[in-house]
Amino acid sequence: KVSSEEDGLPLPGVSVALKGTTIGTVTGMEGDFSLPVSGENNTLIFSFIGMLQQEVPVGGRTEITIVMAPDSKQLSEVVVTAFGIEREKKALGYTVQEVSGEELAEVKTSNVVNSLSGRVAGVQISSNGGPGSGSNIVIRGSSSVSGNNQPLVVVDGVPIQQSSTNKYGGGISEINPEDIASMSVLKGANAAALYGARAANGVILVTTKNGSGTKGIGLAISSSATFERPLVKPDFQNTYGGGHGYRTWYSNGRSATITDPLEIAQYQDAYGPNAPLTGTAGTDESWGAPLDGRLVRQWWTGADVAPLVPQSDNWDEFWETGQTYVNSIALTGGNDKGGFRLSVGRLDQKGIMYNNDFKRNNISLNTSYNLTQKLKAVVSGEYIESGSDNRGFQSGQQFIWSHRHVSWDQLKNWRDYAAVHIQREGDDLPPNWQHTFFTNPFYEQEFLTDANDKDRIRGSVALNYAFNDKLSLLLRSGTDLWSDTRINVSRFERISNGNFRAGQYSEEVLRNQETNHDLILTYAGTLSPDISVTAQGGGAFRSNYYKRNYAQVEQLVIDGLYSLNNNASPNINASAIEEKQVQSLFGSAQFGFREYLFLDVTGRNDWSSTLPANNNSFFYPSVSLSAVLTEMLHLNSSTLPFAKVRGSWAQVGNDADPYQLAQIFNARSPWNASVPSFAENTTIANATLKPETTTGTEIGADLRFLDGRIGLDATYYEQVTKDQILGVEISKASGYHQRILNAGKVSNKGVELMLFGSPVDMPNGFKWDVTLNFARNRNLVEELAEGLTTYTLYTRQGVSSEARVGQPYGTFYGNAFKRSPDGQVIYENGLPKIAEGQAVLGNIQPDWLGGVSNAFTFKGITLSALVDVKKGGDIYDEGTGTARWTGQYAETAVGREEGVIGKGVRNIGSAEAPVYVPNDVIADGKAFYGYNNPRTYHESAIFDASYVKLREVSISYSIPASLVSRIRAQSASISLVGRNLAILFKNTPHIDPEIDAYGGNAQGFTYGQLPNSRSIGAGLNVAF
Amino acid sequence: CTDKFEEMNISPNNPVEVSSAVLLPNGIESSVDRYWGHNARYERLNLDGGMLWMQYLSRNIYSNEGDNYSVNPSFHNNNWKGFYNDAALNFQRIVVQSGPGGRNPNTNYEGIGLVMRSWVFSLLTDLYGAIPYSEALQGTAESPVYTPKYDSQEQVYAGLLEDLRLANEKLVVGGPKVSGDVMFYGDILRWKKFANSLRLKLANRQAAKKPAESRAVMAEILGDPATYPVFTNNEDYAVLEHTSALPSNNEWHQVMIQGSRTDWNMSSTLVDQLQALGDTRLTVFAQPNKAGEYAGHANGLPDAIATTYLSSSSVLGTAFLQPSTPSVIMSYAELLFVLTEAALDGDISGDAQAYYEQAIAASFGQYGLEVPAGYLGAAGPATKESIMTQKWIALFGQGVEAWTEYRRTGFPVLPPHDSRAVFMNDGELPSRLQYPSSEYSLNQAQLDAGIALNGGPDNMKTKMWWVE
Repeated sequence: KVSSEEDGLPLPGVSVALKGTTIGTVTGMEGDFSLPVSGENNTLIFSFIGMLQQEVPVGGRTEITIVMAPDSKQLSEVVVTAFGIEREKKALGYTVQEVSGEELAEVKTSNVVNSLSGRVAGVQISSNGGPGSGSNIVIRGSSSVSGNNQPLVVVDGVPIQQSSTNKYGGGISEINPEDIASMSVLKGANAAALYGARAANGVILVTTKNGSGTKGIGLAISSSATFERPLVKPDFQNTYGGGHGYRTWYSNGRSATITDPLEIAQYQDAYGPNAPLTGTAGTDESWGAPLDGRLVRQWWTGADVAPLVPQSDNWDEFWETGQTYVNSIALTGGNDKGGFRLSVGRLDQKGIMYNNDFKRNNISLNTSYNLTQKLKAVVSGEYIESGSDNRGFQSGQQFIWSHRHVSWDQLKNWRDYAAVHIQREGDDLPPNWQHTFFTNPFYEQEFLTDANDKDRIRGSVALNYAFNDKLSLLLRSGTDLWSDTRINVSRFERISNGNFRAGQYSEEVLRNQETNHDLILTYAGTLSPDISVTAQGGGAFRSNYYKRNYAQVEQLVIDGLYSLNNNASPNINASAIEEKQVQSLFGSAQFGFREYLFLDVTGRNDWSSTLPANNNSFFYPSVSLSAVLTEMLHLNSSTLPFAKVRGSWAQVGNDADPYQLAQIFNARSPWNASVPSFAENTTIANATLKPETTTGTEIGADLRFLDGRIGLDATYYEQVTKDQILGVEISKASGYHQRILNAGKVSNKGVELMLFGSPVDMPNGFKWDVTLNFARNRNLVEELAEGLTTYTLYTRQGVSSEARVGQPYGTFYGNAFKRSPDGQVIYENGLPKIAEGQAVLGNIQPDWLGGVSNAFTFKGITLSALVDVKKGGDIYDEGTGTARWTGQYAETAVGREEGVIGKGVRNIGSAEAPVYVPNDVIADGKAFYGYNNPRTYHESAIFDASYVKLREVSISYSIPASLVSRIRAQSASISLVGRNLAILFKNTPHIDPEIDAYGGNAQGFTYGQLPNSRSIGAGLNVAF
Repeated sequence: CTDKFEEMNISPNNPVEVSSAVLLPNGIESSVDRYWGHNARYERLNLDGGMLWMQYLSRNIYSNEGDNYSVNPSFHNNNWKGFYNDAALNFQRIVVQSGPGGRNPNTNYEGIGLVMRSWVFSLLTDLYGAIPYSEALQGTAESPVYTPKYDSQEQVYAGLLEDLRLANEKLVVGGPKVSGDVMFYGDILRWKKFANSLRLKLANRQAAKKPAESRAVMAEILGDPATYPVFTNNEDYAVLEHTSALPSNNEWHQVMIQGSRTDWNMSSTLVDQLQALGDTRLTVFAQPNKAGEYAGHANGLPDAIATTYLSSSSVLGTAFLQPSTPSVIMSYAELLFVLTEAALDGDISGDAQAYYEQAIAASFGQYGLEVPAGYLGAAGPATKESIMTQKWIALFGQGVEAWTEYRRTGFPVLPPHDSRAVFMNDGELPSRLQYPSSEYSLNQAQLDAGIALNGGPDNMKTKMWWVE
């Protein structure tokens, strides 16, 4: 029986292990345990997080009573590190930050990784928010110019594939959040040397719950419902309708001449006898008539007229209330031989967009069993079935090219107007507010669907054999296999402009598998009474397989029948296979000296199939040191009870993607669907590639003050990636577009701080815990290929995000406004002037990131709030620029009829000797706002994306045991949670600055993407 | 245990070697489509360049996409990239692998590769001026060149005339078989005729600058028709016959029918000229408007004015909007106009007037028409102006070629700008395309030398070398 020294109460969940074996158990609710022990020379190890570990010889006793003392210095804080090895945090020479399952479970999100935002210093997460979508994760800045900057995700020691596409999600976003016991973030190369190449961007280690920690059979039920609405509504103008020239008139969906006598009469009643006789629906902008109730033809009025009135709520009409239901049941059991946990989870999501949904079923099983005293087997697996009737959603562009006077409720009910809706001869289109550029968005959502069906299995089998109390062997095989079938309808049958277009759709089947096998021999012992050593050595084998089959029906015979045989012309086919293997040998040793000085050394050699035979082997080492100064120097003060300093240096190599060594030819559409056609690939392959190298150095300190009530963890790091494998553009006159080269050097330097403490801890049970974290990263492109100074990451509308030598990754280049020496915009004839050439407009990298989390606890009630801060970092918001140009936003209603005076100066001197005076020339409103056109006036669409967000607030209440026991439950809690509740500060007008429309290297660009939503929900957890 | 690595890293998806038979269709399709199209907005070389600048067509909206001489950067960039990377690279591969010492020697493939590569280079130099030629397309050569030097237009022309002579030598009727020839279906004689006709055209284009060399080329070809066959009738012309199977369709069909774009009408310049001449080709080039009449509108009109012509201006003739409408690379009439001009200039012997009349008849014949009675009188006798004006009409559809001939000779005389039109480039019709921005960032030193070779800055006003 185990109890706590503090309050004398029984301690459940204490781990009891028989030293030198894998046999162990945990204490039950009453602190009781039993363990068969043979022989008399056996020692039991009792451990519990936050308590001092004890070793107790059994000595023939049949009953042992243990009192565990708290570890006031919190020295034994245990974190999960590489290979899932739990280690005391004090022994680590690098940064690991952990988020517990309780923290994650409190505020449920369908994609668990989003919960890390603001909780872990230096982790930047952006998502696009559609149902089942993925997230872009960057730890400590971007290090790879061309490649993937996503960290490696490892679940229970086995890597899973993390998909980089936003829309379809994948990887960590598919895991049932209820299954997660904890997540550890190993930042930078240092923490990750043992995971191999892919860990250069850091590792997110996910540990799932297993049966340990329970005694007997337990049942946990959790359920939550969450509702979502867009967080930020653009500030629209509701003064003028759609169209142009102060006229709003729907004639036939295009800019047509009005010829019908009745229509002419109606039109002249509204606009007088001299207005040009043309409809305005062909113009998808809002420079139309004042919304003053005049009678005009609209898309839904047919040959009648209706008052032109504001539709201030049409944004709210467009979006649905998103719904997310998460239900999960877990059954756990355990005894002295082992434990298991079986869980079933179900997620149902409806997006904020009409007919946009996602569903997911998770079934997972975690078991461990001590087959003999020395042999333990762990089997875990999860089957994930997910999919959707429609993953697609209309973007917020619907409100950028738009008519402000349109009711979206009416558009949604287009069927009601089909009989009266007028369109041009030669058009046979679903009713809509116009037909020149847009199709009814609700019709598209209903009929142009992107459905998918995905099956995923991940799992592992591990055997651990303890030869004796020092030496053990782990054998583990894990695989992650998924297959996704996607059916995308891209066109429905229609007649537009007199031309018949048949329906069109495509089918894509993807199959992806990663398998890892590893073997690890571990030795734990002592060299002398003062020196402990833990050494590991082993090998790993990884193989990846990817297959894609794609077929597109160009012209369907029978519309709406989605079969590859239903084709009027040959289908477009494509397929690909990618295979890769990496084999590794690694070793590591951790030396401890008198429990206050720790030295870790690791080394790994990889052999990769994607590099040339003579260059496919690469070795990378790491070393780290940690010193607990308070123990070393025998400092025993309550002011500074604990102080640790740490330092580390590590390298990680990286290989290439498959098939970059030999020049290839690509298939093209056969000529006349019959003559085969190929073209030479315009990327020059490189048969002499070598691996990339990332080198990271970090130093840090971990301090506790005032009896441990306040703690500070500080880190400084530098990380340099060189010999990057890049596709470097070359002169097209060489015949080719780019060469694959080892080139480039990118550095990231930064500081991470975490301050935590309990400012209030009152005897009556009231407690306030607060954690502050701060991260600042400085990124610099130091070199590119020889003779190359620019590498373009992404270009849109002439604005490019570039990696230029001497600049940070992600610098925006484009057209800027011409400015006077004191920085004011120069106007000519009332309109801004453009500077010659291209200018630096901004950079996507934030100055710093931070978060503050507060938790207040009192008698079973916990109130917590998380505030998340991003300071700096620019975005190119093409949406805002465009919507100003097209007259949608409130500011463009100002001065439409009387003109606008731009803020800036004008030159009243000569070109050679300018004299600037404040601009006082009135410009026409439409022309003036046209200078927001982001395609030409790039600067007008660059905004500072800083924000302070109230990311999460939750209140949970643990129902008292006395009540809970009446339903025979062990515990129960209810919670009310809100996510993305408010933006406390931002500099972007009209949108939430937290955007990532295109993902990957295209960060910082947005164009009316799906808006982020605010979610509010309630949850219930009951454990039996 | 890494034995299988090398085998594993060989792509199972893409071949590392292919036959010339499968490279030929793509090379031909991509170069001809770009020359006749292109279908991508902001890089439609012919539809938004040559056809507007030569006032065959005019825009009824977005006149800033070429019609008013404002040119988007993609136009300069992507036509350069497309001709080098999609077209010339594949012809180069054919020349290398079917040439002496190549993987699969075959003189007929080598000859076809040389002809098509030369045609693409001739387009590039006529569009831009000095271009990488002698060091171009060497990115994967034994000694690769990633920053090729520029050759002057004069040097490029000299090289092309020699390449085409060599091509005619390599092309052997009854020699090794070729397949994948979507242009002439393996008919080597037609390739020889195209090679020699193209060589005559290039010689004539540089004749004012290099009379002796040009005359020698013409004499060599015309003096030995057995060795140097040229087009002898309308069935001989160099043409890509498109098909209705997408994407092998004609690019104008792709843009205007498949893509539903209605941005073009007939230019009043062409319609007025043809009506004045009583030219029946107008009924092929254009469709009558709703009132049953042929009408056009002026080029360069601002959108607000241009859009008012949507309902009254004629649109392109249906013959040019079919999926199978042929893309003409060089017509028989064009060859006859070359001979007409050469005879007039005294570069060859022969009667200019006779060639001129044959040329006009060939152009009508190309559309299945007879020259109307009295037409030759209306067209006037064979002077430089009437020859070049008739050639302009005959080149309908080949806007880039017509633009080149206009830049060289200044004919036809285009009417003064409409008073309502607003033109960029200071109202000057573009004299060339600007070098792509990629050359500025990736090949700056060579580019600077190349610009110097043009004898003027890199803008749309610097004159070409062959300007007479």
